[in-house]
Amino acid sequence: MTLILNAVAAFLLLTLLIALIRIWRGPEPADRMLASQLFGTTGVALLLVLSYAQSMPALMDVALTLAVLSVLAIVAFVTRVVRIEQPVDDDGGRHD
Amino acid sequence: MQSAPSLPALSLLLRGAALLVVWWALTLGETSALGFGLGVTALVAWLSVRLFPPSGYRLQPLGLLSFLGYFLTRSVVAGLDVARRLLSPALPVHPGEITLTLHLPEGSPRWLLANTLSLMPGTLSALLEGDQLTLHCLDTREPVEQDVRETERQVARVFGLSLNDIGRAVQ
Amino acid sequence: MIDSAVIAVQVVLLVLGCLFFAVGTLGLFRFSDTLTRIHALTKVDNLGLGFIVLALLPLAPSLAGGVKMVLIWAAALAASATSAHLIARAVHVRPEHSAVEEAADD
Repeated sequence: MTLILNAVAAFLLLTLLIALIRIWRGPEPADRMLASQLFGTTGVALLLVLSYAQSMPALMDVALTLAVLSVLAIVAFVTRVVRIEQPVDDDGGRHD
Repeated sequence: MQSAPSLPALSLLLRGAALLVVWWALTLGETSALGFGLGVTALVAWLSVRLFPPSGYRLQPLGLLSFLGYFLTRSVVAGLDVARRLLSPALPVHPGEITLTLHLPEGSPRWLLANTLSLMPGTLSALLEGDQLTLHCLDTREPVEQDVRETERQVARVFGLSLNDIGRAVQ
Repeated sequence: MIDSAVIAVQVVLLVLGCLFFAVGTLGLFRFSDTLTRIHALTKVDNLGLGFIVLALLPLAPSLAGGVKMVLIWAAALAASATSAHLIARAVHVRPEHSAVEEAADD
């Protein structure tokens, strides 16, 4: 089982790395912020698998922290870079 | 039927108990950490009641259970749906936006609906303003509104709101 | 006998989980706009995570360990839904705005 789990971990790491190419290419900042979401799911899965593969239960706490922190990163991005809390003039920003 | 819990004390107790279960799981049932956990959960429960006073909605166990079942099956459908579209060479997507008027009351029910819809097939909550919810849809040719209304009904049951109440709340 | 059956189910679930994660990553490349990409990330990856958690549940050392894993899954789900909404909202409110200039004048 450990072998299988290690293989799964390696595979997840690979998908994470490939996805990072997309993040690196952007082009929009929002595309880049998808990285945070990605770590929130793929990263959590990776850590859960590793915690059993390597018999390191503490990695599970890391997974939980990662999931929670990923939201905070997005909140920081959304409020600071895009500043959506600022009133946008009504027609300017919408496209419907 | 019991009356709605207006007492913060009851909320305090319920939230504290829920937090204690979470603590128990997070510490992997470690008994030596339980004393510390009791203090922490009491503090957090008190703080949560201070920051988020009880809203007057009461979670219905049966409604919650039915919602969970609905949520799980629909999220599987959602994942399969996106996977199917992605794997077909023609890439059959038809993205667009729709704006709906929600029938649910403000606060937790609307919030739960918006977040749930982001994980349901073909919908992504983009903007929630008052009772207007703008959804980004993967395929506008699908009966999106029908799905949203069904999800809305499920959310209403979680909070013990009946469809008639919702209908009246519209006016 | 039962043990090997459980292991077989676990392996199937793990493979399914991996497949969904791979499809999610594929979605980042095949879909052309940000909002559609968020669809791929949230829905497909959460399903992948669900399968992985299910596969790992029999390995949990205790009941508390299993509950903890389900809690982590729930937290990841909530995190994913919230992030998806926030990014979608940011893109929706200012679709054509590149935030680079915004950041520059800070």
